[in-house]
Amino acid sequence: MEERIIKFISALRAAGVRISLAESADAFSAVDDLGVMDRDAFRLSLRATLVKDASSLPIFEELFPLFFGSSQAPPMMNPSEDLTKEEAEMLAEALRQFKDQLRQMMERLMRGQQLSQEELDQLGELVGLKQADDLRYREWMAKRMEKALRFREVREALQELMELLAEMGMDRERIDQLRQKLAANQQALEEQLRKYAGQRIAENMSESQPEESLEGLLNRPFNTLSGRDLDRLRKEVQRLAAALRTRVALRQKKMKYGQLDAKATIRANLKHGNVPIVIRHKDRQMKPKLVVICDISTSMRPVSEMMLSLIYAMQDQISKTHAFAFIDHLEYISPDLTGSDPRNAVSGVLDRMPPGHYNTDLGYSLKNFSDDFLDTVDRRATFIIVGDGRNNYNDPRLDILRILARRSNRTIWLNPEPPPLWGTGDSDMLKYAPLCDSIFQVGTLAELTKAVDQLLS
Amino acid sequence: MANINSFLDPQSVKSALGDQQYIASDEIATIMYLSQQLGKPLLTEGPAGVGKTELAKAVAGASGRELIRLQCYEGLDETKALYEWEYAKQLLYTQLLRDKLHETLGGAGNLTEAADRLSEEEDVFFSMRFLLQRPLLKAILSDEPTVLLIDEIDRADAEFEAFLLEVLSDFQVSVPELGTLAAIHRPLVVLTSNNTRELSEALKRRCLYLFIGYPSVEQELAVVRLKIPELSPKLARQVVEMVQNLRKMDLRKSPSISETLDWAKALVSLNAKSLDKETMQTTLSVLLKHESDLQRARRWINQPPRSLYDDEDNAQYRNWRN
Repeated sequence: MEERIIKFISALRAAGVRISLAESADAFSAVDDLGVMDRDAFRLSLRATLVKDASSLPIFEELFPLFFGSSQAPPMMNPSEDLTKEEAEMLAEALRQFKDQLRQMMERLMRGQQLSQEELDQLGELVGLKQADDLRYREWMAKRMEKALRFREVREALQELMELLAEMGMDRERIDQLRQKLAANQQALEEQLRKYAGQRIAENMSESQPEESLEGLLNRPFNTLSGRDLDRLRKEVQRLAAALRTRVALRQKKMKYGQLDAKATIRANLKHGNVPIVIRHKDRQMKPKLVVICDISTSMRPVSEMMLSLIYAMQDQISKTHAFAFIDHLEYISPDLTGSDPRNAVSGVLDRMPPGHYNTDLGYSLKNFSDDFLDTVDRRATFIIVGDGRNNYNDPRLDILRILARRSNRTIWLNPEPPPLWGTGDSDMLKYAPLCDSIFQVGTLAELTKAVDQLLS
Repeated sequence: MANINSFLDPQSVKSALGDQQYIASDEIATIMYLSQQLGKPLLTEGPAGVGKTELAKAVAGASGRELIRLQCYEGLDETKALYEWEYAKQLLYTQLLRDKLHETLGGAGNLTEAADRLSEEEDVFFSMRFLLQRPLLKAILSDEPTVLLIDEIDRADAEFEAFLLEVLSDFQVSVPELGTLAAIHRPLVVLTSNNTRELSEALKRRCLYLFIGYPSVEQELAVVRLKIPELSPKLARQVVEMVQNLRKMDLRKSPSISETLDWAKALVSLNAKSLDKETMQTTLSVLLKHESDLQRARRWINQPPRSLYDDEDNAQYRNWRN
C-alpha cells in the first residue's frame, strides 16, 4: 500500500501539484490513523494532507480512483443464461452468419465475459499506451482501443443480429431485452477500457522523469519555447510570483510620515526614561501603482502574458494596476484579468482585435491611451511598456511618450530584443529609449522576473 | 456533556458538531478529526459565509474548549497579535510605589548597594503582571486547552504570515524580557481564508487543507431547518431553491448560507406565508448586497421562463431548477 501511495504522490507531482516531503509524511501518518478500510476516509486523509490548493482538487479527484479504485471491472450480465433452448439455437444460427472476429466479439458480449489482463495489455501495446503520460490522452486512448476491438462494427453487427433473430421468429420483447443487456455489456466493456487506459497513463505519469530542468527553461528565450514548454512556464510563473511577493513585501519602502504611533514611541523611549527622544510614526506601506501597456502581437505574446501573470499574482503588493493591450489600437484589459488568468485575458482581447499582418502600431495606441486613459498616469504611477518598439514605420508619437514620462513617477520599458537589434529595420527603440527611466531586456522568464522584482522596489 | 474525548473518531466529531447546531459533512468531520489527531492546524478555504468561522466556534463548543479568536487585517503586527507591555500600568505602579522604593533603597549605604537592591526588584516590572496578552499568547499560555481561530489570514500581510509560522510549528514564543514561553496545551488551530490572495507555500505545508464550498440543496435545507425551525418546511424549501438558483447566475457576490439564513429570518419576522413576487421584491436586498446583482435578480424574477409564467401560484418556484 505504501508503494501505491508513493506512486500516487509522484503522479500528482507529475500533474503539477506541488507536494513537499513533509506533506507526504503527513499523508502517511494520517493514513496510519484512519486506516484504508473506509475508502472515503482514506481519500480525505490523503486529500487534506497533500492538496493545499482549491485549483488542484479536481486533479486529485481524477487521479485518486485510478490508483485506488476497485480493480474489478464493472460487472457484466450474462444474457445467454436465461435463454430457452430454442432461442439459444436461434442465436447460434444467427451468429453463424458473421465473420470470425465479429462473431467472437459478439459471443463475448453474449456471455458477459470481461477482457482479461493479458488482453488489455496487448491492446495497450497495440495503441501505444506506453508513451502516453498525460491524462488528456485518456479518452483518445480508450477510443483507439475500442477501435482496435472494432466496437463500431460490432454495434452494427448486433443490430443486424437482432433483425436476423426477428426474422427467425424470436419474440419481440425477448429481443428487446437481449438488446438492452448487450448494450449494457458493451458499455461495461467501454468503461473497463477507459479505466485501464486511465490507470496505465497514471502509472506512466508516476514513473515519468521531469524532462528538462526548469532552470533551463527559465533561461531559454521565449521565442524558442514550444507550446508545451510554455505550459510548464505558466505553472512556474505562479511559484515565482509567490517567491517574489514575499521578497518585495519585506523590502517595500515604508512611508516615514503619517500619524504618531504613541505605543511604539513609548516602547522606543523606554530606555530614555520615557522622554520622547525618538518619535515613531505609524508605518504605511508605499505600494506602487502600475500602468502597463502590452504589445500582444504574435512575437510579443508570451512576454506580455507572463508579465501580466506575474503582476496579477502580486496584486496585494500593488495598490492598483491598469493593464492595456495593443496591436494596432489600444484595449483596456484590466476587467478581463480580474478573476481569470492572464492567458484567458490575452486570448479574450485577441478575439476582439484579431492580429493582422504587420499592423502593430504603437504610435496610434499611445494616442488612444492619451485620449482616453491619461488620468490613470499620475505621479505615483509607474508606467510600463512591454514591447519591441517595432512600429511598422508608423509615427512613433514621441511627444505623447514624453508627456507620459513626465506625468509618471517612472517610465520603464521591457524589451525582449537585445540592444544591438534596436534601431534596425522598423524598430523605433532608439528614439524611445532616451525618454525612459530604465529599459530591461526580458528575453527569458528569469530576466522578466528580475525586471518585475526591480520595478516593485 | 461534550468534552475533549468526544473526538474519538470522525463519526463522533460529526455528532458532537451536530450537537452544536453545526451540520458537518463527512468531509468536514473527517478532516477536523485528522487535524486534532495529527496536531496540525487546519486551513479552511472557501467563499465568504459558508461557515468557516462557524466551524471553529462549533469545534470549541463541541470540545468544551475556550475559543480564542484573532481577526486578521492589513497591518496587523506582533504587538496586536502576540503580546505587549502595559506601559501605562508600569508607569502608574512606579509612581505609586515610589514610597516603597524609597524605603527599600533608603537603608543602602552606597550607590552600588542601592543598585543591587533595585536590580533584585526589577523582575517585578517585567513580569506577567504587566504583560498584555494578545490572542496568540493567550492561546499558548492558557491553562485549559483552547481552540485558536485565526480568521481571514489572507488579509494579513505576508510578513505576519511568516511570523505565524514560528508560532504554529512549535507553539512557543520568545519574549526577550521573560524568555521562551512554551504552550502548556497545544491549541486546536483553525485558520480561515477567503482566498483574496495566495497564501505562502510554507504556511500551507504546515496545515491540513479543507475546502468548504456552497452546500447542496439538501444540506442547505437541513441547515435552514435547524437554525430557523419557525420557518414552514414548504417555505424553507422554496427559499433554499431560490438561493441555489441565484448562485447559478453570474453575480458579483453569490449569496452564501449566512445570507440564506438572514433571508429566512427576515421572512419569518415578516410573517410571510409564501414566496410571492412582492415579498421577494422587498426582501431580496437581504440576500444580495450589490445594486447590480439586485437589478439582475429582479429582472430574472420578473421574467421567469415562459412555461411557468402563466401560473402565478407560488408552486411554480418548485420547478425553478435550471
